[in-house]
Amino acid sequence: MTFKRIVVPLAGTAVDPDVVRLAVTIGKPAKAQLIGIHVIEVRWNLALDAVLEPELERGEDLLASAARVAEQAGGHMQTELLQAREASAAIIDTAREREADLIILGMPYRKRLGRVYVGRTVQEVYVGAPCAVLAYRQEEPR
Amino acid sequence: MTEDDPPPETKEGEAPSLEERRTRAGRLPGDRYVRIYRPPEFRRGRGGIYVATSEATKPRGPAGRLYDAVRHVLFGRPLETEAEAEERLSKKTGLAILASDNISSSAYATEEAMRVLAVAGVAALTLTLPIAVAIIGVLAIVVLSESRVIRAYPQGGGSYAVAKENIGTIAGLVAASALLVDYVLTVAVSTAAGVAAICSFVPAVHDDRVMWGLILIALLTVGNLRGIREAGLIFAAPTYVYMVAMFGLLAFGLVRVLTGDVPAPAQPPDPFPAGGTGEVLGLFLILRAFSSGAVGLTGSEAIANGTPNFRRPEAKNAVITLVLMGTIFATIFLGLTFLATTIGVVPDLHEQETLNSVLTRSIVGDGWYWVFVQLATAVILLLAANTGFTGFPRLASILAHDRFMPRQFAFRGERLAFSTGIVSLALVAGLILWAFGGSVTDLIPLYTIGVFLAFTLSQGGLVRRWWRLRNPGWRISMVINTIGATVTGVTLLVVAYTKFTFGAWMVLLVLPLLVLMLYSISQHYRSVADALTLEDLDAPLPPPAPPVVIVPVARLDRAALQAIAFARSISPFVRAVHIATSEESARHFRERWERWKGKDLVDGRPEVPLDVIDSPYRSLIQPLLKYIDRIDQRDRRPITIVLAEFVPRHWWEFILHSQTAFRLRAALLFRPNTIVIDVPYHFRDTGDPSGAGDRER
Repeated sequence: MTFKRIVVPLAGTAVDPDVVRLAVTIGKPAKAQLIGIHVIEVRWNLALDAVLEPELERGEDLLASAARVAEQAGGHMQTELLQAREASAAIIDTAREREADLIILGMPYRKRLGRVYVGRTVQEVYVGAPCAVLAYRQEEPR
Repeated sequence: MTEDDPPPETKEGEAPSLEERRTRAGRLPGDRYVRIYRPPEFRRGRGGIYVATSEATKPRGPAGRLYDAVRHVLFGRPLETEAEAEERLSKKTGLAILASDNISSSAYATEEAMRVLAVAGVAALTLTLPIAVAIIGVLAIVVLSESRVIRAYPQGGGSYAVAKENIGTIAGLVAASALLVDYVLTVAVSTAAGVAAICSFVPAVHDDRVMWGLILIALLTVGNLRGIREAGLIFAAPTYVYMVAMFGLLAFGLVRVLTGDVPAPAQPPDPFPAGGTGEVLGLFLILRAFSSGAVGLTGSEAIANGTPNFRRPEAKNAVITLVLMGTIFATIFLGLTFLATTIGVVPDLHEQETLNSVLTRSIVGDGWYWVFVQLATAVILLLAANTGFTGFPRLASILAHDRFMPRQFAFRGERLAFSTGIVSLALVAGLILWAFGGSVTDLIPLYTIGVFLAFTLSQGGLVRRWWRLRNPGWRISMVINTIGATVTGVTLLVVAYTKFTFGAWMVLLVLPLLVLMLYSISQHYRSVADALTLEDLDAPLPPPAPPVVIVPVARLDRAALQAIAFARSISPFVRAVHIATSEESARHFRERWERWKGKDLVDGRPEVPLDVIDSPYRSLIQPLLKYIDRIDQRDRRPITIVLAEFVPRHWWEFILHSQTAFRLRAALLFRPNTIVIDVPYHFRDTGDPSGAGDRER
């Protein structure tokens, strides 16, 4: 199975570098196009296209470091910055618009009420994505 | 925005910006999202600034891309400024890079002292060991004193910084000049000594030693332009190989000597005669031998100068490396001197074989270990030049930062190395190597003065500093530095006195000239700063005065039209001028101009008058300059020359056009009170006769 276009949502968590390296590895055989995206979630009391300087700077930083990680892993990652009310909807729509054939989601290891917690974004992308979705959960910290 | 997206057009009424936001409809109502289009060449950094990415540095044309590819192969890929911390040196690589000059001096210090003594006869060589002990004593004081410099000035600059702050600017500049000269000579001497070591086992190299020296300097330049960390990785191993080779040789030699198996001395091709070459042993000769051997102390200032090159904690790491350097040098130098005097080896009269080689042959024969020692010595001597390549650019950058050297020396290149300093050093060192025919003995007398002058000034500066600050423990520091200043000062006098006629006079002549040059550069920058500095940020802009605009027109074509249109947009006072080389062409141009409607009064803008000048001597530029002078004399308003410049598709097509605009621009460059504006007209052969497609956006 080969993938031609892979969308990699990045949230700036510790799992990001692993996900980027995984995307490079999976995409290498078919020379897949890697698109790293970061969605800035805009609160409902603000306009959707409001300029949120700190979030923009953080987004640019994490996308730049993801691109660097991809380069170190021997790949090339294009990056995209989005603003939306819900990150999941923007990820799904971008994957649809870009005709992606794979979304690789990173899940940092988090626990809630004694169980590993899968975030809302991951669940919604899993359910709504038009293409294959691969979730990479960070290993349990020792 | 990904790279395959077209950039969105700017909305009507908006100023163009690097960042665009477009709201996109989602799959479901309410799923709208905003895509932020950013060009791949720039990203938003902290504090609302844009950061140019590596994409922004990529060239456009195929020639530029080829040049880039060659540069990347030679020097490596560009490094971000943030990578500077990763480019720092550990103690291990720091010892190899910054101490290689000093450690490698052990390969020839004994020989240099012996060569001076040998002129008084072989019997005088017994004085070599006491002289070596005296040199080690000076080294111990220097190491102790330099460690104080490192702790007091961890930001680097060494002797320059100390002398400038505590004695005065001129003293600082003297120290800096001395160090700059010393670094240049480090490269020249080390390269010459490295080639000499190769000559010992490949005698054929001797005749072309200058050429080989220049090739080696070129290789070192490329290695250093790759950045300090990579240079460290390339050049670290040979320093350790040299240490292993020398410690092995010393251990074997000492075992043989101490067990009574003293080897017979090997003979160089042309040894010094037993009776010497006619000079008598006296105090002057002994002092000269001391000053020649003291060449071994060169390079011990490099660590203090390059402290910021070390990883954190910089000062601590630098001091540890300094002590290691002193210990290693002292062990090898004393060991070699002891063995050389005990075995009784004699240096070669005409430098055909090094003393190091003769001694190694005496101890281990001319087998593989001799080749190993010679190779290791040759390589470390070559790489000792690397200390110069680390020290010179850093010191030059500090001087440039203080406005004593051209600003270019302060800029870091793509690999975070001070490229201008590295290239300048290579050029000057290559020139000196060539001028002295690649001879180590001819170069050595020039070498030591700079180092001891810098040492003396920095020690003296520290004495004043401790006296001024009186921090806890100041008395001990002051005593150490007073002893340091005295010892290095006396050594400086000895070196200057004994080597004056052997070439030291050149350094003593160059140093004041260099100080004068540095000071003059500073004066220039100061006067420029006085003229340009904007002290009052509330000051309004000077009121705009429409200039008198002159548009030289060679032909009435699209390029000229574009230039005249632009000229009319900035001022109502526009004049066109045409220089004709014959009466016939002048008349023809005038007729065509009269028929042209574009010059006429339109939208309140007055008609563009034309002056046609017939130049029967067919000169274009000079009559035009004289015309500009005359117009300028008759009008107080600033004068602006708008030049129509035709830009062909390919660089080689330039030779098919006369490029008058280019020549005129060069001629007007230094004309006061004259603004020159270039209006380029880019030629694109689209086959569109209207020319609509000719213009490049």
